[in-house]
Formats: sequence, C-alpha cells, structure tokens
Amino acid sequence: MGQKIRVEVNGTSHDHEVEPRQLLVHYLRETLGLTGTNIGCETSLCGACTVLVDGRAVRSCTQLAVQADGSSITTIEGLGQNGRLHPLQEAFHEEHGLQCGFCTPGMIMASAGFLDDQPNPTEPEIREALKGNICRCTGYHNIVKAVRRAAEQMGGES
Amino acid sequence: MDHLDAEAHTRGRSRYVDDEPRPAGLLQAAVVPSPVAHGEIRSLDLTAVRDYAGVVAVLTAEDIPGSNQIGSVLPDEPLLSTGEVHYIGQPIALVVAEDFHAARHAVARARLDIDERPVVVDPKEAFERGHLIADPQSVHMGDVDAAWAQCDVVVEGEATISGQEHVYLETQRARALPEENGAIRVLSSTQSPYVGQRTIAGILGVPLHQIEVDVRRLGGGFGGKEDQATPWACFAALAAHHTGRPVEIVLSRAEDLLMTGKRHAYRSDYKIGVTRDGRILALDVRHFQNSGAACDLSLAVLGRTLFHTTNSYFIPNVRVWGAPCRTNIPPATAFRGFGGPQGMFAVESALTHAAEALGIDREELQRRNLLRSSDSFPYGQNAATVRIRRCWEELDEGFDLEATRQQVEEWNDRHPAVKKGYAVMPVTFGISFTATFLNQASALLHVYTDGSVSLSTGGVEMGQGLFSNLAVVASRALGIEPTRVRVESTNTRRIANMSASAASSTTLLNGNATLRAATPLRERLLTHAGERLGSDPSLLTIENEQLLCDGEPTGWDWPKLVKSAYLHRVSLSAHGFYATPEIHYDEARGRGHPFAYHVCGAALVEVTVDGLRGSYEIDRVRLVHDLGRPLNRRVDLGQVEGGLAQGLGWMTVEDLRYDETGRNLSAALATYKVPDVYLMPRDLEVRFIEEPDTEAGPYHAKAVGEPPLMYGLGVVFALRRALRAFGRDGQLPFVAPMTPEQVLLQLQGDDDPSRLVSKSLGTRVPVPAEAVSS
Repeated sequence: MGQKIRVEVNGTSHDHEVEPRQLLVHYLRETLGLTGTNIGCETSLCGACTVLVDGRAVRSCTQLAVQADGSSITTIEGLGQNGRLHPLQEAFHEEHGLQCGFCTPGMIMASAGFLDDQPNPTEPEIREALKGNICRCTGYHNIVKAVRRAAEQMGGES
Repeated sequence: MDHLDAEAHTRGRSRYVDDEPRPAGLLQAAVVPSPVAHGEIRSLDLTAVRDYAGVVAVLTAEDIPGSNQIGSVLPDEPLLSTGEVHYIGQPIALVVAEDFHAARHAVARARLDIDERPVVVDPKEAFERGHLIADPQSVHMGDVDAAWAQCDVVVEGEATISGQEHVYLETQRARALPEENGAIRVLSSTQSPYVGQRTIAGILGVPLHQIEVDVRRLGGGFGGKEDQATPWACFAALAAHHTGRPVEIVLSRAEDLLMTGKRHAYRSDYKIGVTRDGRILALDVRHFQNSGAACDLSLAVLGRTLFHTTNSYFIPNVRVWGAPCRTNIPPATAFRGFGGPQGMFAVESALTHAAEALGIDREELQRRNLLRSSDSFPYGQNAATVRIRRCWEELDEGFDLEATRQQVEEWNDRHPAVKKGYAVMPVTFGISFTATFLNQASALLHVYTDGSVSLSTGGVEMGQGLFSNLAVVASRALGIEPTRVRVESTNTRRIANMSASAASSTTLLNGNATLRAATPLRERLLTHAGERLGSDPSLLTIENEQLLCDGEPTGWDWPKLVKSAYLHRVSLSAHGFYATPEIHYDEARGRGHPFAYHVCGAALVEVTVDGLRGSYEIDRVRLVHDLGRPLNRRVDLGQVEGGLAQGLGWMTVEDLRYDETGRNLSAALATYKVPDVYLMPRDLEVRFIEEPDTEAGPYHAKAVGEPPLMYGLGVVFALRRALRAFGRDGQLPFVAPMTPEQVLLQLQGDDDPSRLVSKSLGTRVPVPAEAVSS
C-alpha cells in the first residue's frame, strides 16, 4: 500500500515507497538516517523539526512524506557546503546560541528560511521569525544575536 | 573556550539516544497509562493488546523478575501497578512491538475496569486527611513565640506557588541492548546513571555489574531526568530481558506531559513580625508541599525549601516547618532550584506583606535585613561565604536603584492606564547535596601515547557545558591544550556509584575528582622527566605543552614527555576521588553545615502593566551575580540567562493546572506555554563578581546552574508594585504564576478569592489578613 515518492534531499535524489501516513520527519530520520532533525512535540508547536522544503521553512512533524513528493528538501546536514559551516551554523557557534543542542537544528533551519526571504532583518523581525521555535536552555538572547550576526555575514558575501 | 559540542550541535551531528544507528531487530515499547487518578483495578484485559499486529510482548507487574520498585529514597513506587493506581498516567502495563506505531495503537486497546476512589490534589486537604509521604520536617532558631511581643507589626497570610513542567525538548527515552550472559547495556537520557543502573538491577533481580548505563548527552534535563528518567530505562531493560532483543522507548510529548513528574507546588502559611525601624524579628512558616503520588525526591526537595525559607536575610527567630503531602498527581520531582525557590517565595511574600503594612519600601526592608558574614542560618551553618551585601551594593550603585524608583514613579504619575513596577530579588543559595553522602565523585583519566587524553567522570552533559568545564580543568592541571582532552560519555562501567548531575554541584564534584586524577599523573610524569633529564622534579612544570625547568625550556614537549614515560613503563592512567570536605547535616536535629559554600546575587526586575487587559511586558532585568573565577565565562553567562528565563517563565506564563479529578489541564504545548523569544526582556544586563573567594570549586569556580533561576521570582513582586500603582490597595494574594489573567483579576478587585488562584490547587486560598498591630 506504499506510495512512490521522489524527493531531492540535500542535493541527492531519492526514490522510495512510503506509507501514506508516514510523516516527513520519520522519513528523514528513519528511512534516510538523517537524525539531525529532532522531534520535540509532534504538534508543530516547538519548531525542533524545522527543515526547508523548496526553500520554505516547514515543520516536518506535521507534514506527510507524500506531500513532499517532487520537492527539494534541505536538512541541517545539508546546510553547510563542501564540509564548511553555513554562516548561520558558524554564528550559533560563535555567539553560543546553543546549550543542549536539541532545538539547534530547527532553530538554524527556521532562521535559514527566514534570512532567505529577509536578508537584512531588524531585531524585531528576527524575534518574529523565531517566535515559533522553543529553546528551553538559553533564554534566546544569544540565538537572536547569532541570527543577526549571520545576516550581517551573509549580506557581506552577496 | 567554546562549548565542546558547539560544532556538532550546529551540524546536527550530536547524537541523542535514538539517533544512534538502529540495531537489527530493534523493538519499540509504550506503556498503558492509568486513565484515573485514584482507584483499584478490578479487571485488566490485555487480550486485544496482545492480538494487535506487530505486538511482541505485553508485560505487567507479574513479569518483573526482581523487585517491582523504583523509589530511590523511599520504596513507595512500583514500576508497574500492582492493582492500585494513584495518578493519571501511572504505568499499568508495558507493550513491546515491532515499531512504535504498533506499540502506541496496541496500548489504546487495553480494557480497564477501575473502581475509582476519592481524589485529592490539594496539599492542605491531603495533610488534613493524613496523607503524608513522611513525617514533617522543621528547622528553627531563637524563640519565635516570645518574639511576637517585641514586634511593632505582625502580619500573616498564605503564599501559593504552582508547579512547573520541565519541557526538556528531548522527551524521556532509553534503549536497552542485551549482551551475553544476561548483561544489558542501556543508553539512557538520564541525569542519574547510577540510580538507573541500581534500579534496573533491582527490577531484574541481578547484580549491578550486569547492568551498564551509558549517557552521551541529554537534550535538556533541568532536574526532570534525575529520578524521573529511571522508569523508562527500566522499561527498556525489562522488555529486552524478556524478548532478548534490543528495545527502545521514546515518549511522545503528550505521554511525557501526562506521565512524568513536575516541580512541586506549595501552599505556605506565613507569619512575620517586624519593628517600626524595619528589622525582621520573627518568621514562622508552614509549608504544605504537593509531593504527588509517591516520594521520588520530595523529602530532599522539602529539606532545601526549609534551608532557603530565610533566603538572604538574617532573622533571629525562625521556625520553618514543612509537610510532604501525598496527592493524586504524578510524583513531583527535582527541578532546577530543588525546593529553594518555593522557600524564597514564602519569605519574599511575607516580607512584602510586612513592608506594605509598615508603609516602607520593600527594598528598604530587604536591605536592612540582609545577611552579614558573621550571621548564622537557622540550620546552624554560619554565613561566612555569603556575599549578599556586596551583591546588593553593586546592584544599588551600579544600576542606580534610586533612579529606577524615581523613573517608575514619574511614569506612573503621568500614565493612568499603563503602570510600571520594579522589584529587587536577592538570592542566597547553598551549594552541595544536602544528603552528605552524595557529595562524592570519581574521575578516570587516560593519556595515550600520542598525547591525547580521555577523561571519564560521573557528570552528565545536558547542555550546561559541563564537558567544556571538565576539559578546561584537565588541560589546566596537565598544562596542555583543552583540544587534547576528549570527555567521554558518562558510563557506569568506567565510573562506579556516581551521584546524579544535580544540585549545581556537578562541576564542583567532578571537576575536583578530575584534578585529583590529573595532579598525581602530572607529578608522575615530572618525576620521570626529572630522572631522564637529571633535574630536580620540583623545578619542572608543564606550561603550554612545553616541559620547563625553573621556567626555562627543556626541549621536551608534551608528546615527547608522554612517549618517554610510556617507554619507561610509567602509568599513564589515573583515577581520582573527591569528597566535599567539612559538610554534615543532622536531619533529626535540623542542624549542621550542609553546604560547601553559598552563591549569591541580586536582580532588579522591571515591568509595564496594561491596566485594561492585564497583559504586561518584562521591560528590563539587570543583575549582579557572584561567579567566583569562571572556568568558562560564556558558558556561565548562558547558564545565568537560561536560568533566568526558566524562572521568569514559571512566574508568568507557565500555568500548570490540575482539575479536581487529577487531570492535567495543561498537558500539551498548546495549553502549557513556555517562554518564547518574546518573553525574555530585550534589555538584560548581567554583571559578574569574579573573586577567587572559594577554595571549594576547581580553580575557585562557583556553581552557576540553579541560583539564577530564582532571580525570576522578582517579577511577581514587580507586578505587585504596578498593581499598587493602579490604586489596588488592601488585600492582594501572593500567587505564582502571575499570568495576565491573574493580573487582570487582581486589578479588577475580584471579590471571589477562589478565582484569584490557580485551579491547580483545587481550593480557595484566603487572601492575606490585614496588618495586625500588636
């Protein structure tokens, strides 16, 4: 009763037969072994499972794998290029925008989707973009700083 | 230095339990939870569960080969129900299936017939019915009863503080892997690997050496994975024991919120007496702790509540009493602060009430009664290590408290509908496990022939940056770069009998154990080098990886030194053991010296309240924190900011509620709100006092995990000041959390006090009595 899907994940094309009820996050974690995407709440309230689908930040815990058929997906594992850290990854590291690390991939992917739309954000815009991502460890200050730093960095490169 | 996990975290390469590659044949487990809060199981029909496709085993209490007991302090908590249930979510049966869909779907097919019994969720009601976990505890000093007559003003009332859900982002989980000869290896997301090991061994009826618990890291703990991680590790091990296959259990968020224990709610009756010139002469507090359905760590939590009920103040006549009250909610457990904040909330409420009755500023009453180092705590320890006056002065002068007061008053004079408030929250928090025997730790250090170092301790990395601290300690002691040190997973085969990573003491204990391993190893290497070089070993040092003699280069570096020692058969491994000196406590007498030292600080919290809506902003938090000499300043700052966020969240938006049937009304992240990016004030300033004034911590470092959480309590009193500015005089209850709903009710002068308190406590809470002049 599987359904065939073709997705491009982090630049690699995959053909799989998936159960229609399978969530995208389970497809990524279990079928593809991409365990960098974490599951925090299964109800799209914490943002830990955020990935990019065709460049848009989505909660992979409330999207079905079959809905992603034909899409291009980027997970935290595919954000850096050629082994180098993406400016967001570097900035979360540099600004200490992390502690236990469980929210970090989702936080970075949500920021990546946001910076794609808004490369020169104000601080209130950064906060608005991250309001759906929960971090229980840091108190958010360093996360906001990290996104701002990455935006500056990326603006400088383009 | 960076957080050791920083790069792996940002690449998504950090592995949590279920990120480890799946072994062939891995099964998934789920539990059948009790649907009612109190009752006797008349019948349990698991036929449909067993018949469900993909189910491999269904286990009940009868399938436990050892002792069906997980209570780590008191033996009052079965792993699986033996016929009675005491809270909604209590595990009744364990379902093991080929995948987690099958396990969860099968669980729903259990048929239960339960004879329901009366449910108690309110701690005072539980106390009146005699439902206690253990006898009440108390500490006292001076003569409280005689002191009232000397007071100019005596007031009494109740402070009510709700529980708190941990919301570690990684839910509870464990994976058990059967090994040869009946041994089981368990990957567990636990702060307490040894208690997990001990409890699994008890459940299975095998010696502890048959059970290995390994912890790489936690996706957050905050106390919620101290004892509360144990049952899930037991379930995985029990299922692996029966099936002979690897078994994993990962709670969904819904299961985790429903079944696991939270922070303790308290109702505390206080009576406080002060003189007209602002001296607090007497304090009498009776705490009713909502302990939940089993002991868990409640008695130790209550003990710390008693210790911290005078917070940062010297009060000559004190009587603090506390009862651990058994109720029909999940067993309440450790949570950052561990009972300390509930004690502080009681005294801060009492003090505020007294200040209002006296007609003086709360801050004035606080300041006049701050501890001096010559004072003593009611539990007998002197306040020699207390720096609270210094912290207060730095806050007062550094942040200009008077200017803040004036600005707030000027604003309030000009704005009728929007008012500001502020409060100072001083914190004095004792560092050590109050159970003295827990203050011990071990470290195991290996140096390999290439000069790289492997360090194992009993400390668990849960985001707090422990491993970064340990790498700094080991590398400083050896004179090498921290990057040479790999901090290993926390494993019961390498480190035996470790204490939980808790009580803000993990760096203190494991850092000192690391020093005690590294220092003799270094001395051994220097002795060897002295022999080879013909130098006096006492003149030799290792600095920046170079071997120096009397400060001059010898031409030997760290790898050469290590290689030479190896070739000459000098041991390159060391074990270190540390036990915190000079601490002791006699619980029966309520006297002793339970803490290695105290950590102090003070925060100034400012808020703006919308009088029409009850909504508010936390405008600004500025604080002074006594840090000692940091091993890693950014890691410590992260702990301060994160702790503050949790404290502010608990006091404002985290509204944990149970109804009178024991049902958790906030068992989803849609109904239980945790701080988002908007809750934390944008304007946050942290100043550290960095003096090497403790010998206890490694390299004069002080504990930083828990104390900052308590700065968050200040927001309740800042909001109260804003309410007063709206002209709300007379009676206002002391309640936390001060949700916007609560603020609005208090603002509107609601006459029905039952609406003024969280429904979590189930009953009316009397508002404070008017000031009584004696």
